[in-house]
Amino acid sequence: MPILTLITFLPIAGALVILCLPKEAEKPIQITALVSAGLSFVLSLCVLYGFDRAQPLMQFMENADWIPSMHVHYALGVDGLSLPLVLLTTFVTVLALISSLGIKERIKEYFFWFLVLEAGMIGVFEALDLVLFYVFWEMTLVPMYFLIGIWGGPKKEFAAIKFFLYTLAGSVFMLLAILAVYFNSTPNTFDMLALMHQHVNWSARFQILVFLGFYFGFAIKIPAFPFHTWLPLAHVEAPTAVSVILAAVLLKMGVYGLMRISYGMLPLGFAWFIKPLIIIATINIVYGALCAMAQTDMKKMVAYSSVNHMGYCLLGIAGLTATGFQGAVMQMITHGIITGSLFLLVGVIYDRAHTRDISAFGGLAVRVPTYAGLMFLACFASLGLPGLAGFISEFFCFLGAFQAWKVYAAVSVLGVLATAAFFLRMMEKVFLGPFNNKWAGLTDMNARELASIVPLTVMTVALGVYPKWALDIMKETLIYMINTPR
Amino acid sequence: MTAIHLIFPEIALCALALALMVADLFVAPKHGRLLYHLAWLASIVTLCLIGLSISDAARYQGLGSLWSVDPMSQFFKMLVLLTTVLSLLMGLEYKDLPPARAGIFVSLLMFASTGMMLLVSSVDLLLTFVSLELISISSFILTGFEKRNPKSSEGAIKYFLFGAFSSAVMAFGISLFYGATGTTKLLGLTQAQTGGPLFILGLLLVLLGFAFKASIAPMHFWVPDAYEGAPTPVTAYLSIAPKIATLAAMLRLFAILLPAKVFDLTTLFVLLSALTMTIGNFTAMFQRNVKRLLAYSSIAQAGYILIGLVSGTVVGMEGVLLYSFIYVAMNIGAFSVAQAVASQSSGADPYGLESFDGLSQRSFGLALAMTFFLLSLAGIPPLAGFMGKFYIFQAAVQSGHIGLAALGLVNSVVSVYYYMAIAYHMFFKPAATEEPLSIGPYLYGGLAVAVAGVIIFGIYPEPLIASVQTSAQYNLP
Repeated sequence: MPILTLITFLPIAGALVILCLPKEAEKPIQITALVSAGLSFVLSLCVLYGFDRAQPLMQFMENADWIPSMHVHYALGVDGLSLPLVLLTTFVTVLALISSLGIKERIKEYFFWFLVLEAGMIGVFEALDLVLFYVFWEMTLVPMYFLIGIWGGPKKEFAAIKFFLYTLAGSVFMLLAILAVYFNSTPNTFDMLALMHQHVNWSARFQILVFLGFYFGFAIKIPAFPFHTWLPLAHVEAPTAVSVILAAVLLKMGVYGLMRISYGMLPLGFAWFIKPLIIIATINIVYGALCAMAQTDMKKMVAYSSVNHMGYCLLGIAGLTATGFQGAVMQMITHGIITGSLFLLVGVIYDRAHTRDISAFGGLAVRVPTYAGLMFLACFASLGLPGLAGFISEFFCFLGAFQAWKVYAAVSVLGVLATAAFFLRMMEKVFLGPFNNKWAGLTDMNARELASIVPLTVMTVALGVYPKWALDIMKETLIYMINTPR
Repeated sequence: MTAIHLIFPEIALCALALALMVADLFVAPKHGRLLYHLAWLASIVTLCLIGLSISDAARYQGLGSLWSVDPMSQFFKMLVLLTTVLSLLMGLEYKDLPPARAGIFVSLLMFASTGMMLLVSSVDLLLTFVSLELISISSFILTGFEKRNPKSSEGAIKYFLFGAFSSAVMAFGISLFYGATGTTKLLGLTQAQTGGPLFILGLLLVLLGFAFKASIAPMHFWVPDAYEGAPTPVTAYLSIAPKIATLAAMLRLFAILLPAKVFDLTTLFVLLSALTMTIGNFTAMFQRNVKRLLAYSSIAQAGYILIGLVSGTVVGMEGVLLYSFIYVAMNIGAFSVAQAVASQSSGADPYGLESFDGLSQRSFGLALAMTFFLLSLAGIPPLAGFMGKFYIFQAAVQSGHIGLAALGLVNSVVSVYYYMAIAYHMFFKPAATEEPLSIGPYLYGGLAVAVAGVIIFGIYPEPLIASVQTSAQYNLP
């Protein structure tokens, strides 16, 4: 059974069904969306069950001719690097869809675009052919444009087109790089696995140029300094569930590409860029945290904290050690889970209070204890409190990078401090202190909100207490990637 | 060498067009629609004749003294006829054409198509000139066909003045060419005949004539006014058929008969291509009228197709064919939606972007179809336009024109801005009226074909690429 194809295209099937339903049929549309995304999630759990953790190479591979005259294949597969990300995508999408049940306007279009988006994201992590990878990569743009532009906040139109153009500008250079590797491989191929062995024939100059082409595409998605300027705007304007997807999955596409393609295919280019990369990582960490500290809007604060957290990923990668790589992948997963729940939580308060201004609240913990508890937990996880998921991944990232980059790692620790500072300040201002009577009518979370957030909280604790379970999935692949003679 | 049987399809189409013109005298105005039906059926008959010539190449293909009938020319003839059929279907749903002149309208469209069919086969500058004139004169009249609309007349006049000027320039170029080589034949030119100043000047002037018809910068100024004024089915037709036919003729002349190793014009074409796509895209950004926007977009598209010509390789040639095919589907689709929307708009300018406000609320299917066409024009996967661009840029990278490919890619990013401006109005703006938008059966049929083409060849382009690869063959003396 082509299980990966099913995982990827079940959402598309759901989207097509939704397209055929009349727009008044709101319940059937919601059910279709949840069922198709849910099935996709269940199937990805099946893949996890059948996944051989001792095997570092690609598993569940599927390969078929797609465009033989251009040597393009339809090739899918997962290994320890991509499987966790596929799981993250299907998991978070289901929860985001649950939280989207609160959407009241233009339900048909919303769920249609959401499912198309999911298919694109899953495909990016599974594709083993550069053209297929590019097609999936671009497939995420259009749905995102509509999701931000229709259901977003006050400046949604501008945020949507800025996101679209910014990301597209990056990816066209990626396309050029893809063509360059195609014509410089013998025999000409887009097969990512075959291209991993081609670098021996490529000069350093060529690899550097191609690396830069890919890097533009990836850096904008990550987002790595100085290409991060689209992110706060898009995150703040996007509706809650879309911010969740944006933070939890879309940013990971960039890091994934950096590890899979830039590191795997272009060792000389990567080696040339390692110094700038560690500097960018440090800037992301420190600058991201400082920017977050300056925000008064909770959502914008969480958005900048994403810049900071992606910096840890880059830090782990730049260490070029198995530990660092594990840290980076683990950080992608934990950031997806934790930031996902943070965005959902911010959405909860915004739905009720119609403001996200930190100083507008005060003492809310008395009024909404469940909400406050979940928020505290997510914030503590995000700032890296031991025992919760965020700590493990950040620790691994620092551990992996420390050997090679002592100074940069030390500077980056400042970022951790700043992160703690802004999260604690937010918790204090919003939940503690004297109760602001303006919010006396505030109600605690309802069942839909709990259903979308509690699973993430459970995962946050579970991964914090017993990370070995997740680390084991990726370990062999990442060790193999580091140790392959290059 | 007389080989008149080779152009039998052209003769058939021309004869049918004349017949329809005569029939116009005997058909009452209220039955004018009948002539449209006869016209598109006649085009399909001709299409079948072309199909026959492809299936029995030994008998129906070959080299005459004026024309070369080969897989490549037949491919473009099929595209021209396909466009004719789809434009006629659009015409059936277009309300502003005088019904009393239906026969004239359809026969002019068919004459123009005949001219294009001859043009793509021509291997003699005289025939090239005559067929270009046939196209031009028919197009001038078609543009001004909406007599009560001053914009239509304005567009036709501008088109005519510009066209007459460029025809004269081209005729002068041909005379210089004749002076330099002693012949108007393009077959078998030797290196000794080429290269003199007379020859170069002649060839450049001929190129200017081509550039006018293919709306290549700096000969593109007539395009927005003519496209805006012309009846929408004619605009759709003009934005596709003459452009790809002229590009096919340029391909034959500059890539096959005078390849770079005989006479190198690569640098000039790089400049033309870069200029055309950049001017088209950057001007389109400021348009508030959909027809004008699509007019500038079609200029930019011509620039992309030129990249294939620049590379001069077989892959580049295939790219031109592939892109032309996909261009037919996406452009006719975009104009069909524009026509449908404008026909039920109450605004001051029916083709203004405001007419698209809230289209997704009135007809989600139509809005989605338009989005597909626009994204395809912008080259976003998984739509067919991406495959076309991919192939063309691949050719450019392969032949070492990486800078041009990069410029093309940057241009596609720019183009997203204005294509998405239409999507912005369709999806983000509230509708002025909730009334659902109805479209006629023929427009619906044409749209269905276009949507299917844009999606199917985007997801599974292999059959199209395979046929393009077999079609990129030509006769050499």
